[in-house]
Amino acid sequence: MKRILSIKKLKKHFPVKNAWGTDIALVKALDGVDLEIESGKTFGIVGESGCGKTTLMRTLLRLVEPTSGSVFLSEEIIGTNVVSNKLEELTSEELRKFRREIGVVFQDPMGALNPRMIIKDIVSEPLVIHGKTENIRDRVIELLNNVGLGEEHLYRYPHEFSGGQRQRIVIARALALDPKILVLDEPTSALDVSVQAQILNLLNDLQKKYDLTYIFISHDLSVIEYMCDRLAVMYLGKVVEEADTEELFSNPQHPYTKALLSATPSFDKSKEKIMILGDVPSPITYLDESKAKLATEMTEQEKLEIKSIEGKGIDYIVRSSLNEVVPLVQISNGHYARVK
Amino acid sequence: MLEIDNLFLKFNTYDGAVKALDGVNLKIKKGEIFGLVGETGSGKSVTCYSVLKLLPRSAEIDGNIILNGEDITEASEERMREIRGGEVGIIFQDPLSALNPVMTVNEQIGEILVLHQNEVINDLASEKEIPVYKSERWKASPGVEFTIIAFCISFISLFVMLGQWTFALPFLFVIINMFFRDYLQRNNPASALDLMVIEALSRVKLPNPEQIANSYPHELSGGMQQRVMIAMALAGKAKMLIADEPTTALDVTIQAQILQLIKDIQKEENMSVLLITHDLGVVAETCERVAVMYKGKIVEEATVDEIFTNPKNEYTKGLLGAIPKGGKERLKVPNLKEVEA
Repeated sequence: MKRILSIKKLKKHFPVKNAWGTDIALVKALDGVDLEIESGKTFGIVGESGCGKTTLMRTLLRLVEPTSGSVFLSEEIIGTNVVSNKLEELTSEELRKFRREIGVVFQDPMGALNPRMIIKDIVSEPLVIHGKTENIRDRVIELLNNVGLGEEHLYRYPHEFSGGQRQRIVIARALALDPKILVLDEPTSALDVSVQAQILNLLNDLQKKYDLTYIFISHDLSVIEYMCDRLAVMYLGKVVEEADTEELFSNPQHPYTKALLSATPSFDKSKEKIMILGDVPSPITYLDESKAKLATEMTEQEKLEIKSIEGKGIDYIVRSSLNEVVPLVQISNGHYARVK
Repeated sequence: MLEIDNLFLKFNTYDGAVKALDGVNLKIKKGEIFGLVGETGSGKSVTCYSVLKLLPRSAEIDGNIILNGEDITEASEERMREIRGGEVGIIFQDPLSALNPVMTVNEQIGEILVLHQNEVINDLASEKEIPVYKSERWKASPGVEFTIIAFCISFISLFVMLGQWTFALPFLFVIINMFFRDYLQRNNPASALDLMVIEALSRVKLPNPEQIANSYPHELSGGMQQRVMIAMALAGKAKMLIADEPTTALDVTIQAQILQLIKDIQKEENMSVLLITHDLGVVAETCERVAVMYKGKIVEEATVDEIFTNPKNEYTKGLLGAIPKGGKERLKVPNLKEVEA
């Protein structure tokens, strides 16, 4: 196993201010995340909206500064000739080099493409910024061919393409500088199933061809199961379970993972049903002690546990905000979960 | 319950007519959940809009739509207004854009109840001897209350400065009344309409419906908004529910809750449900029969078990092959050229 990135105790807390500008609470978007990402594999991150998936992606790209903790980079990405291998201690020159090695594909392709630029300019922009202007036209055509588009698309605008083609353009741009890591933030959630299948096939082909490492963020478990080698389940800023995909799908340990797996619509009618009651709890932690105590008292009453309600054949889970810290326990080789 | 017979639909544009539906035949029985699956642009949403005649003027309809034995193809606008929300309820994809942001949940559900359930409200009011529409409890929005208090205080200070403090007494009375309002109004009953709204909200299993009734849509989470939408669709005692991608904007866990709710309500009231979706997994979970649409045509119609175990049409096979499953084998992409041939 060769590590390409490792994340240690990463925290990102956003302050909540009142009308006078004093902090009254914290949103714990990331609350002590430890992950190790293997080279040449696909690492999946699952969770529902508001659990911190996107904040994790943004801290990995250093688009937001973490509150504490750090991201350690391997030699493969930044080379040996550096003072520190921590992401937050890179100099601006090293950061430029790091950004060359990591590409991003966002969820909404139309939002990621400038509607006033032609495809040639969009795809060649990273090449121009990083000063690789030799044979730029040939390079752009090569990139477009890689993702199944051609020379005839060079002089068109983004609105002339369908959703799947736009996502292909975004992928082509992300690959322009030969990155080693590609971060995919819900790349197929805006697409139809058949187009989604095309994009997933394309991503698999590209991974084999260029030996890429993928960090795949999604809330669709069927896509995650298909794409990923290893998987982390996030809930309210914490990793609640981490394992190899097969192991996690066959032997889920954390109640949230179990509920998530059973909530995915599938053709198998014999599948055991577990439902979560209520909405996602608020990730806000109050700094004022009396308010914080009130919040914990409320969650104390509703522990996250599986309750059977008789007669319906469905197990219910009552949510809590997981305020009590349950440490990650090793279940089997490489399988960790926050269970008692 | 609902029968769509040879429905053709085209939109007239400056560049010529665009064919949206090309001879659609559908039959939805009473008390069943029927799924309509297809990709973007296949015409599934337009089918349900044409049932309710929610189409732009450029649309040209041809065919028969029979609801409950009544041909509504040529129905008048007044009759359509009775049907929409009365006999047929509809849930849209994005709850936040379907709900009015400047009206409270109470007002929005109340509007439907007044339109479609007026007699029931009147009966309830006369039975319990409570007001029909407006409750005798008085409460303004925070902005209005703030303005009134500010107004009163400025007048009080004016009269006190002028030395005529007796003139300030009525304004003082208003302020005192506002502070003790809840106590003074404790015995005033809620109106029949309010009771009906709370009942409608508790039918969709929303926790503390009194509080939710007084909140605005943006104060609710996505799942709660969709529950309010379902409550609205059912408020007029609908016999049929059209759900146009009800769970696309929601998380999987919330999606499971909403689907379970739709199933429960359908069973309780023996309603017919037309569920429009692009997610074949959702269809497998909820529906009994399913139709697959492609290019304005229904290419296959069968029971759910049949379609997943033994699909006949090439397009359906392609669609099923495109869903990622456990194994790592390459996904099959539906070959559209083959389908057309």
